[in-house]
Amino acid sequence: MDAVWNISFLQELLLSTIRMATPILLVAIAELYSERAGMVNIGLDGLMAIGALVGFLVGYNTMNPFLGLLAGAAAGVAINMIFAFFTVSLCAEQIVYGMATNILAPALASFIYRLSFSDTSVLIKGVAQDAAAIPGLSQIPFFGKLLFNHPPLVYFAYILVILTGIFFSRTRPGLNFKAVGEFPRAAETMGIRVINVKYIACIICGALAGLGGAYLTICYTNTYSEGIVAGRGFIALSAVIFGRWVSGGVMMACLLFGFCDALQIRLQLIFPNTPYQLLQMIPYVCTLLALIFFGIRKNGPKANGQPYFREER
Amino acid sequence: MRRRFTALLTVAALTGAMIAGCGSSTSGSASGSPSASESGKSSKTTEYKVAMLLDSSVSDGGWGASCYQAMLKAAKEEGWDNAYTDNVAQSDYATVITDYCDQGYNLIFAPGNQYQDAVVQVAADYSKIDFCILNGTAEKDNVTSVLPDAHQIGYMAGALAGLMSKTNSIGFIGGMELDTTKQKLECYTKAAQKVNPSITVQSAYAGSFNDAAKGKEIAGSMVSTYNVDVMFGDASAVDAGARETLGSLSGCYDIGQPGDLGSADDKLIICSVVTDNAALVEQCMKDVESGSYGNKTIRGDLSNGCLSVGTFSSAVPKDVQDKYMEYISQIKSGTFIQ
Repeated sequence: MDAVWNISFLQELLLSTIRMATPILLVAIAELYSERAGMVNIGLDGLMAIGALVGFLVGYNTMNPFLGLLAGAAAGVAINMIFAFFTVSLCAEQIVYGMATNILAPALASFIYRLSFSDTSVLIKGVAQDAAAIPGLSQIPFFGKLLFNHPPLVYFAYILVILTGIFFSRTRPGLNFKAVGEFPRAAETMGIRVINVKYIACIICGALAGLGGAYLTICYTNTYSEGIVAGRGFIALSAVIFGRWVSGGVMMACLLFGFCDALQIRLQLIFPNTPYQLLQMIPYVCTLLALIFFGIRKNGPKANGQPYFREER
Repeated sequence: MRRRFTALLTVAALTGAMIAGCGSSTSGSASGSPSASESGKSSKTTEYKVAMLLDSSVSDGGWGASCYQAMLKAAKEEGWDNAYTDNVAQSDYATVITDYCDQGYNLIFAPGNQYQDAVVQVAADYSKIDFCILNGTAEKDNVTSVLPDAHQIGYMAGALAGLMSKTNSIGFIGGMELDTTKQKLECYTKAAQKVNPSITVQSAYAGSFNDAAKGKEIAGSMVSTYNVDVMFGDASAVDAGARETLGSLSGCYDIGQPGDLGSADDKLIICSVVTDNAALVEQCMKDVESGSYGNKTIRGDLSNGCLSVGTFSSAVPKDVQDKYMEYISQIKSGTFIQ
């Protein structure tokens, strides 16, 4: 137990928390934008998978991590446009098309991967983005390494949380955006272009989800393997609900999940005789407990998940 | 109204495309690839065909990839036609196997204990078709189990880890708690402690064979908390993630499996425990051809060449290599640990 009760254990645990929470956070913010415009997109896992692959491929071929991340985001947008066209323009059922994305995109990703590398038995190594330490701040003992020594995308994710919070509560476009998710017909009569807002939401959602996927293959590891997303999209989906559709809450939900996951790995090492399945349940049990504790009094956007028929009365 | 109709139509079209396109990816080599049969023994009158299924991917850089390569190699040697279906969900095992049976495949290769129930179930209905289960235990008239010795794999990795660890702390990452994984971990621990009694072993399960990021975190936590310096893994792509962490630290080593992953100038992978599944699959094919199939378990170990020691890295000093090879011959003769 001596190995546990010291400052470096705590630091490693929290560092690990931030690393594990970041991809989920990016994708959860993606879903937040989508749901605020009334679009429930459960296809996040699929968007991450295609983002992870395209980001990896472009990074591998250009050896430029930034291009890889951009390409991952672009791929996410491209795939999410299928969802957008069917659910916004054709008013189809959102859950069905989200599920379709989850089936189509990972299969497309493995197809492209095999076209690119045939069926080689070694994992191909791509490009990795190094941590960018912020000069000065990263020298602060304990907190410096914890908060200011990460790949740029990590800073981006946390800045995005703040910007999103300001956007939705303090700016006119943000309030208009929210109105589309609450009562699109009223928003339309007030002169808000509902269809446009919904498309913009889908573009933001696709870009951020693709970026979250690319984080896995460029910033986190530098290899791509099928199934690397490992259900993170669904966790992000629950983080949005858990976080009560506000960016700060979503961030806390993601951090809690990251913390529990980082903790369960370490508990496996500390208590080797405990069945590991029990410890792996911790993140999910915590989510359940937190939901019970906080209750579900505050609901999400009122028109969430409902198709908007513009010309119907 | 017209819009609804268009929507319905496109939904129908897309669903159709999806069902056709991505239920799971099946290789096309079965549908008449002349090169496969030409490269083999052309004298054969009957065309033999082998098919395999996988719950992971053939390009996962670990277990799935090595099993697929094993089937390809064996099929090439014997001049068989081949096909595979990967990323098969547990609920679809029996369906996929039945499909291949209906298509007239002679041998179905199921690389893992997890397929055993489905294979035995289908095998009862198709008495003319032969089935091979890797790491299996079932023996029927048309089912043969192929079993690389997990104990020896554990001993081989453990002995080297014990010899190479400077911090007396070594690690093991499992994907899922399979029987073979548990045996490997147990023997890994025993062997390391026999070679160096002060060794402690840290182990953790990722709960996945694909989540490379998880592997990276697990390796990181082992090194930072318990100062682990030699790692052995049984979790395919998760191991690749673990290697990324270890590779970024100096003085940390990894032992590869099941392919020969290292090379002489590899700073990280000091050696590999190589499992040659191809030889075992080939043995099954020979049995099918000669009509002597079924009711047995083909064991693979050091003595029949199914297991072997991979390429040493230059990080392993000559005297350690010699000592290790001594242990290997003891493992081979069964005198290492009784």
